[in-house]
Amino acid sequence: MSTGKNILVIDDDRDLVETLRIVLESKNYKVRAAYDGKEGFSRIEEKLPDLIILDVMMTTDTEGFDLAFKLQNIPEFREVPILMLTSFPKTMAEEGPDRFQHILGEGWPVSIFMEKPVDPDKLLTTIEDILAEESPA
Amino acid sequence: MQLGDELVKEQIFFRKELRERVYWFIQLRWVAAGAALVGSWLVYYQWRTLPITALNRIIFFVIIYNIVFHLIWRRVEASKHRQVRFYTIFAHTQIICDFIALYLLIYYTGSIYSPLHTFLIFHIILAGILLSPLSCYLYCLSVLAVLGGLMALQAFKIFPLQPAVFQSPLWFYRLEFPEILAPFAIFVVALFITAFLVTSLKLGLRTKGRELLRVSKELDAGNAKLTALYKMVTEIGNCSELQTLMDAATQNAAQIMGVKACSIKLLDDQREKLMFASTYGLSENYVKAKEGIEVAQSPINRKIIEGSLSAIGKIDEKDYFQYPEDIRKEGIASMICLPLAVEKMVLGVFCVYSTESYYLSDDDTKFFSLMADLTALAIENLKRDLDKSWFLKKAAHQLRSPLNTVVSMLNLIRNLHHGPLTEKQVKTLNRSVKRLQILGDVVSDLLTLDLKRSDLTKTVLHPVTPEEILKRLMGPYRILAAEKKVDVAFDIEGPLPRILADEQLVDELFTNLISNGVKYTPPGGTVRVMLARDNKNWIRFEVRDTGIGIPGNDIPHLFTEFFRSANAKALVEEGTGLGLVVVKEILDRLKGTISVKSTPGAGSIFTCRLPPIQNMSTANKFPERKPCD
Repeated sequence: MSTGKNILVIDDDRDLVETLRIVLESKNYKVRAAYDGKEGFSRIEEKLPDLIILDVMMTTDTEGFDLAFKLQNIPEFREVPILMLTSFPKTMAEEGPDRFQHILGEGWPVSIFMEKPVDPDKLLTTIEDILAEESPA
Repeated sequence: MQLGDELVKEQIFFRKELRERVYWFIQLRWVAAGAALVGSWLVYYQWRTLPITALNRIIFFVIIYNIVFHLIWRRVEASKHRQVRFYTIFAHTQIICDFIALYLLIYYTGSIYSPLHTFLIFHIILAGILLSPLSCYLYCLSVLAVLGGLMALQAFKIFPLQPAVFQSPLWFYRLEFPEILAPFAIFVVALFITAFLVTSLKLGLRTKGRELLRVSKELDAGNAKLTALYKMVTEIGNCSELQTLMDAATQNAAQIMGVKACSIKLLDDQREKLMFASTYGLSENYVKAKEGIEVAQSPINRKIIEGSLSAIGKIDEKDYFQYPEDIRKEGIASMICLPLAVEKMVLGVFCVYSTESYYLSDDDTKFFSLMADLTALAIENLKRDLDKSWFLKKAAHQLRSPLNTVVSMLNLIRNLHHGPLTEKQVKTLNRSVKRLQILGDVVSDLLTLDLKRSDLTKTVLHPVTPEEILKRLMGPYRILAAEKKVDVAFDIEGPLPRILADEQLVDELFTNLISNGVKYTPPGGTVRVMLARDNKNWIRFEVRDTGIGIPGNDIPHLFTEFFRSANAKALVEEGTGLGLVVVKEILDRLKGTISVKSTPGAGSIFTCRLPPIQNMSTANKFPERKPCD
């Protein structure tokens, strides 16, 4: 089921990216990495991933959200599910930075938030669920 | 009571005085008529030449018209139809009737030699008090005319000369001109002097009254402005976002100053350009047409940046502005700019725009300066707060990120992704992960504690019902306690007085204490939560548990940051030692108290007391929570 699915990890913390790679590859996912929003976008353009794991705060406070909204505005990329990783308590992250408050609603581009630190098992189950939802399409 | 009210009342008092004097006039007439009657008979016994019948008839006539006046008065008082004009005419009527009666009496008691003509002065004084100066002088003239006419008629023997009272009947009086004119002239002059004195005095008092009224009106206007300024400052002080603060400032300023529009322009980093940060009353075209104002090209703004306290510009002084045409198109005739500065550091420019030329007086400018200074201060404070929160959030993130990554990596090892582990390795890893998680909690709590501390001072207190807040917590805590196999009971003894607080603060207070109670009670124990009113009408909130208790030595340190008792740490590893600090700070803010009683091994009792709202006026003293955001 999970064989061969393409996951793009975008996070500026290289250790964490490595950790995620190890966890994901252990379940035969194909993992690509990018370390900031710009690089991440290039990777998406090169090849559309099946899932994006995105960190919220990278070089700028809202880099994660910026990329998410950018992707949402491009039809080809809109459908890709996004799993957002955040250091903050989930509620704070879900509320989103103030700048985006007024666009919140159905248009929220992130499928799901997960808190750091990451529990490998929980991560894998969540990913399976997301990809299972997307499969029929 | 305000000075203004006092003086408006004084104006009403003038009118009331007129009304009362008119009535007093009627009452006095009873006395006068009575005295005249008695007096005339007494005199008659001595001087049989007195035309007593005529005098009595006149006095009778006075009594009759006084009865009429009295009835009119009664009728008007009943109908409540009280117009100044009516009373003035009424006063005139009475004075004229009295004059007629008095002239007749004077005629019958010796004309110019009558002792009664002195009474005419009384009526002139009354006319001066009750009526206008013109009326008063006219009455003087009327006396001159009537008395003079009477004398003339008597001199030409048209009317017979009546014998004078209190003079010997043997002395036959004749009206000898011009000798007779001397006493007459002196009398008339005295009359006019009296009229002059009374009317001058009255005029002086009236002028003073009007001046005071004008001053009080100005004071009222000033007071209203200050109240509006207070409201404005409270509103912008409550804003937690820079844009809403500035928008509130411009809107309030325009409304309070009574002008068309207002704007705040902030200096950019190079201090060469002023960008519109907030406007009220200006069209979008005006604002968007430009990329901001260049300081070098706009003398009016440059003056302010260079340190002037104010700059006024009229539209015809084209060179004063960078975009005079835009200003004209907007319908602005003049504007006044003031610096937004904190301690000589100019942040930007605060402008009001008027459709009239030179709308603002010096006092207005001073008031506007005050407004600008307070706004600048509010902006600085908010920026500082935002910087601080931003710093804390950034710091928290920088601390949490590597922490989370380390835990993730250790989890990887724990889950055997890097190969098998010995039992000892697993144990060490587990301990490491646990300690790191606690460290993460401490970082989070530190961040929240600091944010809470700044929130505490900012929160506006309002009347709150504590039992409702506790009721909301009952459900979740019952579930939580059940999971831990701890029995929790809630006891609310209503009705309870309301307290001056904030829902979130009270929620936090209750939550921290209840969760502590549940946390430090082993399975099988009980926690009892009570909310009641004590004998001084204060709210008493108590959490009583059968938990591990607190050693006596530790109780004084309970509310210190990071403090945790040894037995608490032993039972539950997680815990930052900051929960009770928050409790204490909330209680300080709400002017409440807390006391702790505990027996190690048996349980603890935490008791909080919160004061009720004293009375409605205390509750109303605090401004309503304005949703600024």
